[in-house]
Amino acid sequence: MDVKSNLIYSLGKKKNKLPDYMTKNISEDLIRLENLVKIYDTGAIKVLGLKKINLTIKPGEFVAIMGQSGSGKSTLMNILGCLDRQTLGHYYLDGIDTASLTPNQLSEVRNRKIGFVFQSFNLIPRTTAVKNVELPMTYAHILSKKQRRERAIALLERVGLGARFEHMPNELSGGQRQRVAIARALANEPPLILADEPTGNLDTASSVEIMELFGALHKEGATVVVVTHEEDIAAFTERVIRFRDGQIVSDVKKGGNKTCS
Amino acid sequence: MLLENMAMAFSAIRANKMRAILTMLGIVIGIGSVISIVSIGDTMRSMFASLYQDVGITQGYVQVRSWMIDDFRQSDWFTLDEMARVKEVFGDEIAYIDSSAFETAEAVFGRNKIRFEYSGIDYNYQDVQPVNVIYGRYLNEGDILGRKRNAVMNVESAMKLFGTENAVGKIFRTTLYGETMDFTVVGVYRKDMSPFQKLMMGGNNDNGSAFIPYTILTWPNDYFSVLRVFASEDADLADFFSRLTNYIAKVKGRTPEQLFVQTAVDEMGSVDQIMGGLSAAVGGIAAISLLVGGIGIMNIMLVSVTERTREIGIRKALGAKTRDVLIQFLTESAILSAMGGIIGIIIGTGLVSIGGMALGVPVVIKPLVVLLAVGFSAVVGIFFGLYPASKAAKSDPIDALRYE
Repeated sequence: MDVKSNLIYSLGKKKNKLPDYMTKNISEDLIRLENLVKIYDTGAIKVLGLKKINLTIKPGEFVAIMGQSGSGKSTLMNILGCLDRQTLGHYYLDGIDTASLTPNQLSEVRNRKIGFVFQSFNLIPRTTAVKNVELPMTYAHILSKKQRRERAIALLERVGLGARFEHMPNELSGGQRQRVAIARALANEPPLILADEPTGNLDTASSVEIMELFGALHKEGATVVVVTHEEDIAAFTERVIRFRDGQIVSDVKKGGNKTCS
Repeated sequence: MLLENMAMAFSAIRANKMRAILTMLGIVIGIGSVISIVSIGDTMRSMFASLYQDVGITQGYVQVRSWMIDDFRQSDWFTLDEMARVKEVFGDEIAYIDSSAFETAEAVFGRNKIRFEYSGIDYNYQDVQPVNVIYGRYLNEGDILGRKRNAVMNVESAMKLFGTENAVGKIFRTTLYGETMDFTVVGVYRKDMSPFQKLMMGGNNDNGSAFIPYTILTWPNDYFSVLRVFASEDADLADFFSRLTNYIAKVKGRTPEQLFVQTAVDEMGSVDQIMGGLSAAVGGIAAISLLVGGIGIMNIMLVSVTERTREIGIRKALGAKTRDVLIQFLTESAILSAMGGIIGIIIGTGLVSIGGMALGVPVVIKPLVVLLAVGFSAVVGIFFGLYPASKAAKSDPIDALRYE
């Protein structure tokens, strides 16, 4: 089953309208990190957040990035999400060299290429679930108002929240909020879904449901990268990358294939 | 996108109703006071304008500046012949001309003695200053040319002197220039005036007033000092009076500068100027409260931006560009102050209208002023929202997302 066939008003053709820097240079890798270094300059001392990371993630993978706090996984997550910039090295997302982009272009990349799912849900307060899901489409200036709403409702139905689309975030449980966030992450059909500790604020039952939802999305063809420190959560994925002290210490694919980092 | 921004702005304003209302209050007071003060000024001006319209806006007085020239001579007085010549030369351009004769004397009827103000008029004064004759008739050409001792007075004067409104045929005695004369009342008129007009024109209410032929008041030597002219309705007043002045100067052997010309338009212009200046000054003071209101909006928007740092971070993560965030917050502050402006207009016009109704005065509220006020309040909102909005727009998504 293809994710696109589930959703009305597929965005496939609309992507042709993207600016040049987003469409040219499409490579086989969805994510390619080359000698990525991040240095935090706190004034008095310089802290090395990431030490020469090399990593590739291909379209359709379901990856967990693991590590304890301070291991550099959150730093990597922020750079992968185009929220932060590396100090040295290159990050190619869907063929785009993110180092050369302006803040507004980075906004556009986040909008079209990445679907975010955060630990603390990060829904817009006082705004209904359906409005939250519409937001990325609104910023992308795609579809009509009516179509955006219909698509948002379809997406909420897809994550199992069809009946609650007019609810405010504070009227929903944690698991439900995270479902809204996932529906929002899917709004612009981004090639990459980036989840930062998506189950960190959820109970075990909800955590399992959310991870199963990610699994289903992965089976439908989505690329999902989950940052977590819990082994149980990482167990849902097909590839586990472990971080320690700003370096990749292991990269294991399910079935025992270990790839070099 | 604009509609969505407005919807977002309204929901953000709704979320903090009390705060929004207090913020708006500054703008409400500012706009309300500007509107009411400017409207009060405009109302006063229109009242003066109608007053002058009533006195005759085409009216003007010409005389030799006897108080400013050393060699004042007999020929500086006007004569009736000269008046006739002026009338002839300017023809239709002059609607009415007389010797501006005026005298105050005691009128006696039986035991009643009342001070009367006599205006010497020509028979066609009715053309330029129409009154409603309710008993008898107006003065006619025969009265003027024959120097008949006939008088026309208003009902109030008739009541005072004769104790009756219909005083036609009654005879009263008065002494003008040392000569005792008996006048016959030939007509009584009524003239309705607003309370404001009565206040401005009424003079001493204990006195009576009457129109008598100017030929009597200009008698016995037929010299007079002030020429009163009403230009025709369609005349170019400035041009007409300057030509008239030049002509009279030539006739009198004086320079135009030695003549004193006083026209209703000039006078009205100066009153208008004073009123305009006054309302601009007070309006300016009121505008300061708008400034204060604007600063209040900036303050609240800064608080709002700080409070919503995380929301801004989420929006940026979801793909909002600098411009999107900027427009969102600008829309919010513009709506906040425009709402304040609209409420201010309602309150301002409401207060002025109620005041006008209470005083029985037609209130003038210019749509332009209202439009300017709304525009200004929106500009205040945008101007004072600009800094907070750009602060929001420029925030770094990673810092904003981390903000607790």
